[in-house]
Order: sequence, then structure tokens, then C-alpha cells
Amino acid sequence: MKIAEFKSLSATPRGYRIGMTARLAALLLGFGMAGLAHAQDAQTTAATVCAACHGADGNSLAPMFPTLAGLQENYIVKQLNDFMSGKRKNDMMSPIAAQLKPEDVQPLAAYFSKQKRARGTSTNRMAASAGKVLYNQGNDETGVPACIGCHQPKGAGSEGASGLQNYTYPKLANQQIDYIKSQLKNFATGERSNDPNRFMRVTAKRMTDEEMEEVAQYLAGVGD
Amino acid sequence: MKKILISIVAIASIAVLPLAAQAQTSQTWNEKSAELTKVLETKGDPERGAAAFVPCQGCHRSDAMGKSSGAYPRLAGQHASVLLKQMTDIRSGLRNNPKMEEYVEDHLAKPENMADIAAYVSALPIVEDKVGRGPGTAIQAGKTLFERDCVQCHGNNGEGDAQKFYPMVAAQHYRYLLRELHYIRDGDRGNSNPDMVKVVKPYREADLEALADYMSSLPPPKK
Ligand code: HEC
Ligand code: HEC
Ligand code: HEC
Ligand code: HEC
Repeated sequence: MKIAEFKSLSATPRGYRIGMTARLAALLLGFGMAGLAHAQDAQTTAATVCAACHGADGNSLAPMFPTLAGLQENYIVKQLNDFMSGKRKNDMMSPIAAQLKPEDVQPLAAYFSKQKRARGTSTNRMAASAGKVLYNQGNDETGVPACIGCHQPKGAGSEGASGLQNYTYPKLANQQIDYIKSQLKNFATGERSNDPNRFMRVTAKRMTDEEMEEVAQYLAGVGD
Repeated sequence: MKKILISIVAIASIAVLPLAAQAQTSQTWNEKSAELTKVLETKGDPERGAAAFVPCQGCHRSDAMGKSSGAYPRLAGQHASVLLKQMTDIRSGLRNNPKMEEYVEDHLAKPENMADIAAYVSALPIVEDKVGRGPGTAIQAGKTLFERDCVQCHGNNGEGDAQKFYPMVAAQHYRYLLRELHYIRDGDRGNSNPDMVKVVKPYREADLEALADYMSSLPPPKK
């Protein structure tokens, strides 16, 4: 593992991440040496490497780490490729992706997409019910389209087929509240820019902070 | 001598100018843009169109019926040629549509996507109970005006004309129609047919409301 990567990990600002950093460094070292040569290793890698942040079965327990369980396989493949190529960047996830070999991607994606996603809970009922309206109806005044149009009812998402105009719309149901908010913010500022045709950058730019909170509250507790 | 020449030129250009300007606007309306010519030649596939239409559903809804509030127009059942002309006009900025523009800049840059969407959406059924109606108090007055000034292009039943790019205006949402009539009258809809602008120009508020009331009350025309 390169020093620069180490630095970017240790430099994460919040205190509660620091204990994890030491554990991570150990993880990464082991990971780097063993590599991920075989497809059948996906489950082991998940349990030993990804689990620290995303949970062994892909159900994340920390607010800023996304749940991977039940995410569409295509979508996971795209995100891992984007992290590997630098199209999507994150201080914690990018160094992990840098250790992956191209042939690791598909088996990991297949593994996490097959895991059962646990139900989440919203922490603010009022906000969640406003979020439900925004999700299903959009905001006609400001031109925020209804999320349901692309992400399907109740944040189920849809699998894109191959072809000219098919994109994978990721599952959002029961995702971590903080993670959803952070992605909407990052799309709005352009810090995350790997969305096809700028669909999410345009959408998030039109949203208020309040709307981001509300829709995240709705999705976190949307159930099955 | 010089002075006389200048004034002759001046008079001539004054006389010629309005004509030239007029000729230019009607020519702009009739002349197909390169993009429109291209998409009209592209064969659309409705099955692929269903997938390409997904990013539009957040506004135009999954059945392409738009919203009865009129915020978003019904696209279902509209002539494919009209959908294509409006999409290309919105993309080029000829028709001003800031809400939609950013979503179609990249997505509709592929002519296939536009042709596929038009093939899919034009074949969707018009769901009559989802049409946003007007107050229903000026239908008769609207009918009189419509039959006098609009039928030659939009047809006796508001069915429009696919060959000539005239939109179907029957069974469209009241508030959307009213908004468009304002844009057309006040010069805010860049792509308005100039012959239509001429007839709409002198209308008062009540006339526009009556026309929108009438058009939104018309049943979906038989194809
Ligand atoms: C150090 C903690 C950490 C570890 C270990 C980690 N990740 Fe991540 N991962 C993250 C963070 C943080 C994000 C969110 C990045 C962002 O905000 O853009 C993320 C995002 C992702 C995403 C995108 C999810 C989405 O919904 O878009 C995928 C896929 C992913 N990780 C897969 C993996 C896999 C596979 C492994 C194991 C090889 C792994 N991660 C290990 C922290 C980690
Ligand atoms: C025009 C289609 C479209 C609309 C409308 C749309 N999205 Fe998205 N969204 C996408 C696509 C496509 C992606 C995947 C981006 C990628 O491939 O990296 C995405 C990704 C996301 C993500 C990141 C998910 C993850 O796991 O990292 C969030 C959060 C999100 N959308 C929330 C919303 C919300 C909330 C709304 C409504 C306000 C919305 N989206 C409306 C197309 C759309
Ligand atoms: C963010 C919302 C939004 C999205 C997304 C959107 N549109 Fe629109 N669209 C509008 C609005 C608003 C109008 C009406 C503009 C006006 O009031 O003049 C419109 C008008 C149209 C018209 C002209 C209808 C007519 O009767 O003249 C067509 C055609 C159209 N849209 C097609 C599409 C297609 C195809 C997509 C997806 C590729 C799409 N739109 C995505 C908001 C949207
Ligand atoms: C010379 C032919 C012509 C006449 C006459 C005409 N229209 Fe139009 N109308 C058009 C065309 C063409 C369009 C589409 C805009 C464009 O591309 O220029 C249109 C568009 C419209 C629209 C917007 C439809 C939509 O889906 O966005 C409305 C509403 C409308 N016309 C109403 C009327 C009314 C009411 C009258 C009579 C007062 C009228 N028109 C007379 C040709 C005409």
C-alpha cells in the first residue's frame, strides 16, 4: 500500500473514524498481499475487506457507509469500475478500489446484489411523509422531477438492460439516511459526476437541503 | 446627388424591410432543422422507446399523460411528427423550456432515442379522466372562436395534422393550453407558427380562457 493512500485515510476528519483507520490499514495490507485472484473468493473478500465498512452481508451499520445488499449487479459493477478509473472518488473507498483487479469486480457485485437488504428506519416521521410526496410527485415549481419516474415505486430501482438508452437506476429503498444525503449533496456540487447524462447532477441542483433530508428520511424507512 | 441617392436607398430599405423580416420568420418555421430532418428519417422502435422514455417519466409520468395541473403536458397519443418537432425545437432553444432542457441535452443527442420515444409515446392511449379540464363555463364561446380561427390547422375536432406538424390540441390539460396561448400571444413561445400568432394576437384574456376551456373539453379524436 502506497504512503499517499495511507495519508488520505488517516486524514479523514472525524474522530470516530480513526480507530477504524488502524484496522483498515491492517486489512489493506493483508488484502494487497493476498490479492483477489479467484472468483470464488468474493465471499471471503466481502467478509474480510468490505465488511469493515459495508457489513459482511452488505447491510451497513454506519450512517455514512452505503448498504450494498440487494443493489443491482450492473450498478455495483459500474460503481466499482468508476472508483477504479477515478471517475468517482472517495477518500475511503478509492484506496480499496485501487487494490481490486478487473476480474474481482463481477463476483463481488454478484455476491452483494444477492444479499437480502435489511429494513431501515426513518428517524423523523414528519420529514418522511413530506419526502414521500417529493419522491412520488416531484416539485412542479422548481422542476425537480419525481424520483419515482426513474427509481421506480418505493425506491425499488430498475435493472438496465443493454442497449442505447438503458441505464441502471439504483435501488434506494432502506438505504442509509446520511449516505443518501451525502450523494445528493455531492451530485449538486458536482463532486460526484459519474451519473449518465447528468441526470442526478441536474436533479440534485434543483433540490433544497430540506428536500434532501426529507426524501432521505422517506427512503430509509420505506420498507419492502 | 449623393443626398438623393441616400434617401432613395433609405426609402427602399424601409419598404423592403418588413417584407423581408416576415418572409424570414415564415421561412424559419417551415424550414426543417438538420436535426429534425435526421430524426424524421430515423425509424423508431417503440420497445426501445419505452426504455428511453424512463428519464421523462418524473415529469410527464409513466403513462405520458402529464399532470392535470398542467405543469407538464400530455404527450400520450400526440402525433409522432409533432413530438419530434417539439423535442428538436426544445433542444435547439427555439422553444424555451428551461425545466426540461437540461435533461435532454445529452439523452436526446442520439437521434435513435428521439425516434424511439416518438414511436412509443404517440401510440400510448389517451386516458380521458386524467385530462385537466377548465371551468366548463366558456366552452360555447371557445367553440365559436376555435371554429373561426383554428380549425384550418388544428382540425374540426382538435385532431391536428401529422403531415404538417400541427399538434393535436383536443384532450390536453386546460392549464397547459392556457399557458401556451399566453406564450404564443405574447411572443414567449419561440417556435410559434407565425400565421397562428397573427390570429391569436388580438385575443383578450377571456378569449384565451374560453379557447382553452373548449379544447380541453374535446374528447380524444379518433385516429
Ligand atoms: C474504509 C471503508 C470501506 C471499505 C473497507 C470498503 N468501502 Fe466501499 N464505500 C465506502 C464509502 C465511504 C463509500 C461511499 C463513497 C461516496 O460517498 O461516494 C463506498 C461506496 C461503495 C460502493 C458504491 C455504493 C453505491 O451505492 O453507489 C460500492 C459498490 C462499494 N463501496 C463496494 C465495496 C467493496 C466491494 C468493498 C470491498 C472490496 C468495499 N466497498 C470496501 C467505504 C468502504
Ligand atoms: C432522470 C432519471 C433520474 C431521476 C429523475 C432521479 N434519479 Fe437518482 N439516479 C439516477 C441514475 C441513473 C443514478 C445512478 C448514477 C450512476 O450510475 O452513478 C441515480 C443515483 C441516485 C443516487 C445515488 C445512489 C447510490 O447508491 O449511490 C441517489 C441517492 C439518488 N439517485 C436519489 C434520487 C432522488 C432523491 C431523486 C428525486 C428527487 C432522484 N434520484 C431522481 C437517475 C435519476
Ligand atoms: C424536469 C421536467 C421535464 C422532464 C424531465 C422532461 N420534460 Fe418534456 N416538458 C416539460 C415541460 C415543463 C414542458 C412544457 C413546457 C412549456 O410549458 O412550454 C415539456 C414539454 C415537452 C414536449 C412538448 C409537448 C407539446 O405538446 O408541445 C415534449 C415533446 C416533451 N416535453 C418531451 C419530453 C421527453 C421525450 C422527455 C424525456 C427525454 C422529457 N420531455 C423530459 C418538462 C420536462
Ligand atoms: C397556421 C396554422 C395554425 C393556426 C391557424 C393555429 N395554429 Fe395553433 N399551432 C400551430 C402549430 C404549427 C403549432 C405548434 C407550434 C410550432 O411548432 O410552431 C401550434 C400550437 C398550438 C398550441 C400548443 C399545443 C401544444 O401541445 O403545445 C396551442 C394551444 C394552439 N396551437 C392553439 C391554437 C388556437 C387556439 C388557434 C386559433 C386561435 C390556433 N392554434 C391556430 C398551427 C396553427
